[in-house]
Amino acid sequence: MTLYPVLYHSNMSEFNTPTQRIIAAATLISQGAEAKVYKAELHPPAISGSTSDEGYESEPVLIKHRFNKQYRHPTLDASLTKSRVAGEARAINKCLRAGVNVPGVRMVDLQEGVLGIQWIDGQSIRFLLGGGAEGEEEVEEVDDDGFEEDATESNEDSLKEYNITQDDTMQLIGKEIAKMHKADIIHGDLTTSNMMLRRPSASDQVPELVLIDFGLSYTSSLVEDKAVDLYVLERAFASTHPASESLFGTVMKAYEKEAGKEWKTIGRRLDDVRLRGRKRSMIG
Amino acid sequence: MQSYDYPHFPDYASNFHFALFTNVSNAADLRNRLVQASTMQGEEGEAERQAVDFAFIEATLICSSLHLRSAILNSVLSQSQGTLRTKTVHSEILWNLNPTNNISDAIRRYGVSPSTTSLIVVRIGPPSPPSTIQAQMQEVVSGTLSPISELKNITDWAKVRKYHKIGQKMDKDPIKDTQKAHEIVLSTVAMKSVVV
Repeated sequence: MTLYPVLYHSNMSEFNTPTQRIIAAATLISQGAEAKVYKAELHPPAISGSTSDEGYESEPVLIKHRFNKQYRHPTLDASLTKSRVAGEARAINKCLRAGVNVPGVRMVDLQEGVLGIQWIDGQSIRFLLGGGAEGEEEVEEVDDDGFEEDATESNEDSLKEYNITQDDTMQLIGKEIAKMHKADIIHGDLTTSNMMLRRPSASDQVPELVLIDFGLSYTSSLVEDKAVDLYVLERAFASTHPASESLFGTVMKAYEKEAGKEWKTIGRRLDDVRLRGRKRSMIG
Repeated sequence: MQSYDYPHFPDYASNFHFALFTNVSNAADLRNRLVQASTMQGEEGEAERQAVDFAFIEATLICSSLHLRSAILNSVLSQSQGTLRTKTVHSEILWNLNPTNNISDAIRRYGVSPSTTSLIVVRIGPPSPPSTIQAQMQEVVSGTLSPISELKNITDWAKVRKYHKIGQKMDKDPIKDTQKAHEIVLSTVAMKSVVV
């Protein structure tokens, strides 16, 4: 199956830049207020020559396009978009270097507000825990060798397909977040939709937990920021997955184990945050 | 040699070709020829520049064809946006491969040097028959034309890691360790336009 539609150079003239043409040929996956997300093919296969050295040839990419906002002044819009795309790319790079599982960067076009990242073949934790598809998972699912899943009867069965128990999945989550916090990266939007299990390549292999969407991330070494990050996740768990206290408990235990002595202060601060909410100061 | 047609690239740069040469014997001469070609005057100079209008890349520093293609993609994007940092789209590939912002460093590290024995030659341009391009490449490089799949035996990971400052081990498993290092290299090249 080729994802890359046959396009002729002359037909492409209405799109001015290479990046616009990549988007024009891509498949829209979902749209939010800030960006549109596409599945695209960045590197078409060779037209002649020996077959290449890696399996990356046919790997699609995920394109996140922060489109123009009509409601903002163009100059402000351009500079905000630029700094957000750059910020997201920087956070991903920092995570990679810290050994956190995140999708790698494949292209950046600051002028167009485009970030291309590695395509993760898998599903969101939200979906796997039976929190219902967000709509986007259904679309992604169609690509997986004609196999479609009913969003209503998911959880236990889909986890089995990944060869992992619910408990182990929660441990992977805790460990990955702790690794990220150790590198002083704050995700900013930790929810079960922003975590994915990557489909394991061999049947005996353990799936990887991948953190996605660093659009709201920033760098900070403050205990407060890390505690708030965890608090946001706790609330996300509670609101999307009913009766999930024990699940979140497992996440926290794995976090504690990975974080080591840092946990003492973060854990204590998390208790404070729970009492007051994520905004530290109410003085406006 | 590999040839590619990217329909989203502008016509003047929609095709590119790259070839891996091993056992290269004329690296020092090639380097001198490039330096001289850049300063030659008149029609003779034009002809000479045409003859060596390629990117010559130290193959031991390239991890995969995707690594190289990411650098080419960035170079063509910059060319089409008029934001080239170097003089040509070919030298821009070297700049894109190098993790720092210093152009002469990029050329010294990733370009051809007298000690080069494995070389990747790249041509970006309008569509043209692969056989012609290959003949032009073989005209300037004396070495064995090898399949790009040979690259995995050529990559000098110690040097790649040094230039990309990947000091620590990324994973206990050596295969995964290299995979993760490769991912860092790919991402660094892809986000070259973002100052880290």
